[in-house]
Amino acid sequence: MPWNEPGGNQQDPWSGKKRGSGGNDPEELIRKLNEKLGKLFGGSGGNGDNSSQNSSKGIIFLLILFVVGWLLSGFYTVDARQQGLVLRFGAYQATTDAGLHWRLPYPIETVEIVDTEQNRSAQDRNTMLTKDENIVEVAVAAQYKVRNPEDYAFNILNPDFLADQTQGTLYQVMRGVAREVIGRNDMDFILKEGRAQIASDIQNQMQQVLDNYKSGLQIITVNLTYAEAPPQVKEAFDEANKAREDANRYQNEAQTYANKVIPEARGKAARLKAESEAFRQETVSRAEGDASRFMQLVTEYRKAPEVTRERLYLETMETVMAGSRKIVIDSNSNNMLYLPLDQLNGQTSTAAGNTAQAAAAAMQNATDKSNATPTPTDVPATNAEVTRTGREAGVRESR
Amino acid sequence: MDIKNILAVVAGALALLLYSSVYTVDQREKAILFKFREIVNADIKPGLNFRMPFITTVSKFPATVQTLASRPEQFLTGEKKYVTVDFFLKWRIEDVSAFYRSTGGGRIPDAENRLEQLMKDGLRNEFSRRTIQEALSGERGSILQGVESKSKEVAKQLGIEIVDVRVSRIDFPDTVSDSVYNRMRSDRERVAQDFRSRGQEEGAKIEANANRESTIIMAEAYKEAEKIRGEGDAKAAEIYAQAYQQDAEFYSFYRSLSAYRNTIGKNGDVMVLEPTSEFFRYFKQQALQP
Repeated sequence: MPWNEPGGNQQDPWSGKKRGSGGNDPEELIRKLNEKLGKLFGGSGGNGDNSSQNSSKGIIFLLILFVVGWLLSGFYTVDARQQGLVLRFGAYQATTDAGLHWRLPYPIETVEIVDTEQNRSAQDRNTMLTKDENIVEVAVAAQYKVRNPEDYAFNILNPDFLADQTQGTLYQVMRGVAREVIGRNDMDFILKEGRAQIASDIQNQMQQVLDNYKSGLQIITVNLTYAEAPPQVKEAFDEANKAREDANRYQNEAQTYANKVIPEARGKAARLKAESEAFRQETVSRAEGDASRFMQLVTEYRKAPEVTRERLYLETMETVMAGSRKIVIDSNSNNMLYLPLDQLNGQTSTAAGNTAQAAAAAMQNATDKSNATPTPTDVPATNAEVTRTGREAGVRESR
Repeated sequence: MDIKNILAVVAGALALLLYSSVYTVDQREKAILFKFREIVNADIKPGLNFRMPFITTVSKFPATVQTLASRPEQFLTGEKKYVTVDFFLKWRIEDVSAFYRSTGGGRIPDAENRLEQLMKDGLRNEFSRRTIQEALSGERGSILQGVESKSKEVAKQLGIEIVDVRVSRIDFPDTVSDSVYNRMRSDRERVAQDFRSRGQEEGAKIEANANRESTIIMAEAYKEAEKIRGEGDAKAAEIYAQAYQQDAEFYSFYRSLSAYRNTIGKNGDVMVLEPTSEFFRYFKQQALQP
């Protein structure tokens, strides 16, 4: 900055700027004008001859031309999105809206045009400290415009120096306020649900500060375009987010299990109940059937007890004997009796260990062997010899 | 000498005099009028102004709000941690004659140096009384108030109005940042573990509840089923009892036969029989009498 330079006692801080130049254009022009006027005065008052009259006529014509041109140079236009500030000798006079205007020409009045409708923007991206002393990386973008062109032009040096954003007041304020608001909040809030809230806090506070400066600027929007954990810890943050998903997954898996197990249990319960109902019906019906059968038999039995008893007995024994291998021993005989029990047992255990077919084969085998044994009392009874009685004895079948 | 020339010279001199007796002050400037280096007017309106040529001189100073942006500075906080702080100061010349007198003839760098020193001392003092957290959060406003109120007095002597003091950045130095990152990392690990454990906890709860519910359903069903079966059994027993009471002795005979039939004579059972048994009564007779 010019006034920061050493030895700038009398140095004009505005010398770098075209508009406010103290010793430059206007005064010089006035001086020139004065000189011209002086010459004109002297010229017209001096010579009385024709040639000088002619030349003075020409000079007057030129002068009129000059004055008209000078007056015409006072016209200027203001675009629809702009406003003009009229300054008379550097002092603010008026603000003009869009259209064609006239001002007093150059050295007297000047016009500064300010874009008021144009949206301007500024952004800042950096790491910032949060309230809980964590570091977040945040990008803030602000859209703003000039609300009051007089304030904008006259009150602050570099309200929003657009060529170099960081030199502008708006950027400085945004930077400070963003860090202040971030510093008031916890990291989790900033990264998750708080983004909109933080953006609007920043906006409000920026506006407050800019109003305090009478900057003439109006903030339109502030956005938090980026808010993440810094790259140094990004991985850990991603891991935590993954863990959150895992937690949901665990719950979903458990819920899936529950959704499988409970209906299954209900199904089993329903089956159990149905089975028991069936059992009850069956048991009762069987009992009724059995009872009825027995009652009818009893009626007949009472008519001829002895015969019926005998018949039932023999028929039962017949069935029983038919399905068995039989060894008949006369207890009166003194002969030693040899029973190949182990063989018989082996036969049954083999039968148990094999399929039904193998068992049948083994049985046949065993029978053949037993035929070969010299046991005289061995009765060669096989299943094939048994003829089952066609009529079942009046005995209740097992269920 | 020609009279015309004399007139011209006089007119020229007058014009020069007129020119040197006017000056303009911009809307953005403040000016001081000196008479032989003595301040005669420090309250000059913007626009065209007049002065006495050769006797008075004019100096101009900016009237707009100026910015003093500090270089990053380290401050020690209440808990003896260093923080790097940027701040900026918005100021403007309020009393231009005081400003001129106290800053070596209105040198702006002079003024800024003094203001910066003032701010740094103030901020150092304020930071040393606060923890980082206080400095970071709600305390920013009061830090600045503390700095401002003290420095305003000094600024006033300089003819300066402090418009605003604002901390734009509070950061940890790099070495501290690393340990902050480590803490953040371990903190996230804790959070991750917490999430997973809670998820597993919830999952286990849901599973256990499902198991409980299904067990209860099954048990209730068993209870119900056994009750129904019992009803069936009871009813059957009643029916049987009523029927078999008709002839208990015959029933026992009849039932025994049924039992023999069901238990003997299957799977190739071996029966060892005496020919004297009831069943063989005729079998034997025949054998004796061919």
